[in-house]
Amino acid sequence: MSAPDPKFLSFTSQKSLTARLILSTLTGKPIRVSQIRSTSTTPGLAPHEVSFLRLLDSITNGSRATFSHTGTMFHYEPGLIMGSIDGQGAIGEVTDCSLPNTITRGVSWFLTPLCILAPFAKKPVNVRFSGEGVITGATECGDVSVDTVRTAILPLYEKFGISTAKLEIRVLQRSCAGPGGKGGGGVVELKFGSQVRLPKTLHLHRSPGRVRRIRGVAYCTGVSSSNNHRMIHVARGILNPLVADVHIATQYDQAPLVSSGDKNSKSGKKTTGIGFGISLVAESSVDGVLYSADVASPSRGGVTSEDIGKQCAYQLLEVISQGGCVTKVGTETVLVLMAMGSEDVGRLRLGRDVVGTEDAIGLARDLQKFGASSWGLRDVDEDDSGDIIVTVKGIAVGNVARKIA
Amino acid sequence: MPTLLGKRKRRAVASNNTEAEDLAAAQMAQEIFQRHFEAQFKPLAIPKIPESAPIEDDEDSKEEEELEWDGISEEEEGVKVVEHTDAYARMAAMSKQQLKAFMTSKPPTNKPSTPIIRDDVGGKIDADDVSEAANLKKDLALQRLISESHLLDSSSHTLSGKNRHKALDMRIQALGSKGSILRQEKMPMSHRKGIEAKKKSDEEKRRNEAKENGVILERATGTKTGKVKKELSRKRDRGVGAPGIGQFKGGTLKLSKRDIFEVEGPKRSAGKNGRGGRGGGRGGRGRGRG
Repeated sequence: MSAPDPKFLSFTSQKSLTARLILSTLTGKPIRVSQIRSTSTTPGLAPHEVSFLRLLDSITNGSRATFSHTGTMFHYEPGLIMGSIDGQGAIGEVTDCSLPNTITRGVSWFLTPLCILAPFAKKPVNVRFSGEGVITGATECGDVSVDTVRTAILPLYEKFGISTAKLEIRVLQRSCAGPGGKGGGGVVELKFGSQVRLPKTLHLHRSPGRVRRIRGVAYCTGVSSSNNHRMIHVARGILNPLVADVHIATQYDQAPLVSSGDKNSKSGKKTTGIGFGISLVAESSVDGVLYSADVASPSRGGVTSEDIGKQCAYQLLEVISQGGCVTKVGTETVLVLMAMGSEDVGRLRLGRDVVGTEDAIGLARDLQKFGASSWGLRDVDEDDSGDIIVTVKGIAVGNVARKIA
Repeated sequence: MPTLLGKRKRRAVASNNTEAEDLAAAQMAQEIFQRHFEAQFKPLAIPKIPESAPIEDDEDSKEEEELEWDGISEEEEGVKVVEHTDAYARMAAMSKQQLKAFMTSKPPTNKPSTPIIRDDVGGKIDADDVSEAANLKKDLALQRLISESHLLDSSSHTLSGKNRHKALDMRIQALGSKGSILRQEKMPMSHRKGIEAKKKSDEEKRRNEAKENGVILERATGTKTGKVKKELSRKRDRGVGAPGIGQFKGGTLKLSKRDIFEVEGPKRSAGKNGRGGRGGGRGGRGRGRG
């Protein structure tokens, strides 16, 4: 094997692949990722990773990905982030992203990194996720539901000077994970219409305040809508003594229909993605501080809706107990935007358990490798919460399409 | 008297002793009736009534009751309260407004919604203010809200951009403006002709389609019949402050004979009422002309 091309940044393994891909696209540095599941019995890129690469290809112009024969290694040369432009992968200014039915990750796995790219695009990013692999609910892999992305992640953009008025996540069809945790039949539309020249940096280093209210969505697809009420009842039972203002909306959808895959009848349909779940978001008295939790029924079934409600309420309490101003779910978004944003020092208060995760530390290392300045970490000395203040200096990557001459 | 007393005693005794006998007699009578009935009609299907035990004294029955019923044990002194609330049905769901705000496709915003009612300078009108002036302001604001509500979109509660101009135009027209300020006055003739032609063809197409489909539309006005034009020419709008008569041209108001006649009205002809010859001839001539 020849020595790797020096212009490529080398990474190994499939961990935090999306983060590396978006950092590569934002900074314009090509990457080479090797040893992707090289010891696994199913080596190479997984279907969701391939789909994400395709999606990147359709919203950028000039990006190139070359795979090795086994798929355990690939080169990615980023292009310009264009957004959804007719004739460049979009029809009617909507990019269609069809996911195959072998995908085990939720659609939020695609949405979160895509949203980080979107403010830097030339034109609005409108992506429609469809096909037999779209799981809108939470999954067992730890992906959050679409509702959490909408209610807990998108509001974070407001702080960066990216107006959330033009952001939309439209769930046209809900779906939980299908049989064996694979596939669903959901349809989700992301509209990201606020492109900025340069995101402002963030100063969230004060106390995260106290939880003021809890909102949430209980969803069920293809099962009795009483499950919604049962989940809400139990979750409220746990949360109500702590916060009075708990309101959880219900969403009931019929099970999505996908083609049955029967050779004899091509038009045959079958239902998939049956299940239920709940997403909770706690809003703090400080503007922009959100804690979220997400639990969905496993695809094999056998869990009562009461258990799901209870689990989710406890998960929310755990997330709140971790403290900080941004939770694990939102750290990637916030830290990448801070690093790519204006050349100011931003401060972010994070819980010790949030900083101490593999994802956060891995992200710091990746950012450093891509040429972003390294983080400064210091303990909070105002109180004994044990939180850590992360200071991030931006490298002002900004939006290439909106550079002022 | 003694006999009476004796009788009474005997009867009382008899009633005490022969209660069961009376019952049997009643049953006998019933049987006789039944036999008679069944001889005439079909036999009746009477459900068997269990032999009712003769009614005992009050005290005895009370004892019996206490023996049979053992629902409340002696330890439970207080009232047992069973509360059944249908928690699922009574669940404090979000109000419709809250739900709408939260379940949109957009990320939820926790900004307080801006009040729609504003006065001219954009300041809020205090809801508690009951003074006449405040009421007038509220009235005006409400009127405007009603008339301009179709211009408001869901995203914002205040008029902005194009819609603000439209609202302004509507207000000016309501105050008596002749035309819309949005109407483009000057335009190449070819453009104007094109626009007019397009308008006409669209209208014709609409009418034809409606006719083919059997839909009855409103009566055609203008263009085709020219009714509107006639009406317009009959009553010309002279504008505010302009003289209501004659033709004002080149700084002079020219009055035609006809105008003067219309002002003066028909001459009371001198000849007829014998008011002398002054102006009689003129009057006559005027009449002749009219």
